[in-house]
Amino acid sequence: MHEVNRGNMDTITRRKFIQMTGAGAIAAAAHTLSIEEIASAAIARPLPLGTPILVVVTLYGGNDGLNTVVPYQDSVYQSLRPQLAYKESQVLPIGDGLALNGAMGGFKSMWDRNQLAIVRGVGYPNSDRSHFSSMAIWQSASLTASKTGWLGRWVETQKEDPLLAIGLGSVLPPLLAGERRSGSVLPLGGLKVPTGSLASDCAKLSMTSASDDRLTAMAARTMRNLFEVSEEVTPILKDPAPPATDLPTVVGGNAGGDSNLSAQLEIVAKLIAAGSPTRVWSVSLGGFDTHADENTAQSTLLGAVSNSLSRFMSQMRSTNRSKDVTVLVYSEFGRRVRANASQGTDHGTSGPVFLLGERVKGGFHGEQPSLQRLKDDDLEVTTDFRDIYGVLLEKILNTPKERVLNKWSTRMELLS
Amino acid sequence: MSAEERLAISRLINRIGFGPRPGEFEESLSIGFTQAAEQYLSVAALDFSGLASSLGISDLGMQPRPNTPEIVTYAEQKRFQLRKMTLWWLDQMVGEENPLLERMTWFWHGHWATSYSKVDEPFVMFNHVNTLRKYALGNFREMARSMVLDGALIYWLDGQRNTAAAPNENLSRELMELFILGVNRYTEDDVKQTAKALTGYKVVKNSGVVTRNLRQSYTGSISFLGTAGSFDALSLTDYLVSRPDCSRFIAERLWYRFISSSYELPANSSIEAAFASRELRPAIAAMVRDPSFIDPKNTQVKSPLEWLVAVLRASNILPSQYERPDYLINLLNSLGQRPYFPPNVGGWPADESWLSAASTQTRISAAQVLIKRADLSPISQVSSVARIEALSNWLGIASWSERTKQALTGAVRDPERLAILAICSPEFLVNA
Repeated sequence: MHEVNRGNMDTITRRKFIQMTGAGAIAAAAHTLSIEEIASAAIARPLPLGTPILVVVTLYGGNDGLNTVVPYQDSVYQSLRPQLAYKESQVLPIGDGLALNGAMGGFKSMWDRNQLAIVRGVGYPNSDRSHFSSMAIWQSASLTASKTGWLGRWVETQKEDPLLAIGLGSVLPPLLAGERRSGSVLPLGGLKVPTGSLASDCAKLSMTSASDDRLTAMAARTMRNLFEVSEEVTPILKDPAPPATDLPTVVGGNAGGDSNLSAQLEIVAKLIAAGSPTRVWSVSLGGFDTHADENTAQSTLLGAVSNSLSRFMSQMRSTNRSKDVTVLVYSEFGRRVRANASQGTDHGTSGPVFLLGERVKGGFHGEQPSLQRLKDDDLEVTTDFRDIYGVLLEKILNTPKERVLNKWSTRMELLS
Repeated sequence: MSAEERLAISRLINRIGFGPRPGEFEESLSIGFTQAAEQYLSVAALDFSGLASSLGISDLGMQPRPNTPEIVTYAEQKRFQLRKMTLWWLDQMVGEENPLLERMTWFWHGHWATSYSKVDEPFVMFNHVNTLRKYALGNFREMARSMVLDGALIYWLDGQRNTAAAPNENLSRELMELFILGVNRYTEDDVKQTAKALTGYKVVKNSGVVTRNLRQSYTGSISFLGTAGSFDALSLTDYLVSRPDCSRFIAERLWYRFISSSYELPANSSIEAAFASRELRPAIAAMVRDPSFIDPKNTQVKSPLEWLVAVLRASNILPSQYERPDYLINLLNSLGQRPYFPPNVGGWPADESWLSAASTQTRISAAQVLIKRADLSPISQVSSVARIEALSNWLGIASWSERTKQALTGAVRDPERLAILAICSPEFLVNA
């Protein structure tokens, strides 16, 4: 149904999902932040060095795991998707008969540095093939797609702070939705603080007034926040993002279709470098719903993921926070093993999850689902996604997993 | 003119209406709150049944296959119709002298919050809202009966996937929680039981036509909320609407949107009593006449759509006639409140949620853009000394704070600058 307009697919899938999971979610309202508010907080109360930070990358649409971590030597793989299967010369082998998609050179370098963990066969029992239901399960970490997101519930275990967890974009991602408090959103797209006489007029309008009731006072205060960008803050906003010094200048393969993942990560990099008191960042990329003509579309998207994240990690290395940052990359489901009639794949079950960073135990984790043992033509689930959330909660966010994951009590040792 | 009277008229025009058109605030002041309220409440009920076809909103049929010439036309038609129905509705809100009907339609759109993002069919979405328009001031039971068989609503809440063999409880839960009774006024078992009454309904996606497939329907007896028997969607709705919790809940929702989201509806409210017959017009009238309606403590933030429509009404800018109508739709989108696209089935948030530095920036920049096309004669034609008062009447503001008066005083010679400041002022954003 969504194949209509490839160019719009990013926005369609992501926006649709965010609005639709709404079908269950009544979250606490999200705070909309301005970049200035975050920059001021970075100066006033920077995140102490050494505090772990989690960056969550959501791939909307259902990424085809078999063409991401490719079992290129497997004859079943080659025979079930003859026109879609990659040959050895087209991929980046990483052992165990598996290889990364040829567009993922950035991930391959991180793998070689032992900073990439690949968890295989990740999903949950009784896979739901609806984008919306499945993404709701992943984002809520509950098989009944509860109304709150797993990181929103984490926010609620912490001291109240609108800067604690931030989603990039104009709409709160459901994973940050809490019942009483939610994460915040930071819209992209460079709004401008007024200047000149309009600025001084608006500054007057934003003063306190004895006659203000609570809401009017709040309206004045939010306007005041705009104009309280101190001389100290301005340089942070004008500063270029941290340099990515150790990357080759040409990484290739990243033509178009990037949506704005790299723009989102650029802002995250800047604000982490500035010391924003933020423990969780959420960014996303849509367009993975490749029912037709999959290979070009998917490799373009995977190239964007790989390039923008390797650039981001390289930027982190030029700051003193590179040990603090761990990145999680996931999608709501993998795709069917057998290709369909239009050189694409339909909705499937399990898929690989990636963790990146200096704290991860690089290498393979979890069992690769066997292509000899398909279940209703689909891959088995060999790892429950909550085992990954569990370790992130405990080792990155210092919170017992049971408090957030509804008594889920196991975790996978993915971090050192 | 007493300060209380100005406040009462400001509440009336901004909350039951969408802000004053030029001259309206002064007229209402001259006839007084009671009579102005009667005028609003006596708005005629009109027949909008032929509206879709007269606007060219039509069933576009099944989606053509990808990569065919037909799909291009199809996609263009879809975009065209969605734009058309959005601008038409904004025109109604801005252009109607007495916008009570559209104001209530807008309220009900946020109540039965169904989004185009999933419905994805202009014709079906338009009919959904037009049905709300038909009953917006009518009978709630009739409205609820239409909604439970509405193609857009059923599709939005996966009702078409609810079968006797594989029940889907999405619709039954929301029907009780968000539409008719209110949260915690039923049990989880009631959700499971009532879901059975809603099994087997099928929606033709492109036309919104709803039928019932009896083979997939549960027709046995169910037991819920103190009753038992065989129920279908209509008899279930009738039973839920007849519950006392329904009058409490609808009164709470009216209170929340029109009086206060900060304070709760008191027990034994006149609104609840007036809704005993499930007629909406008396309930709305009771709300306007209730002392809480003019209680100074019940301030409210204008939502983005209310803010924009109020600016356009004062400025005499009809959305479809504006030089860049898409700018207006994009503006609402970036402020988070585009008609036909509620964020989730709970509808839009209220009050503080709309206050953020980021949205303030957007409003300031929009004010600069819109004011270039505004009719500012109500301000430019009076002498500089009278302009600050003229601005408060122009926008229907009860009174300026000392702070805002000072800011405006510095700009009295420049009507454009004055107007920008006034529509960015805390007193315009928050209805006292």
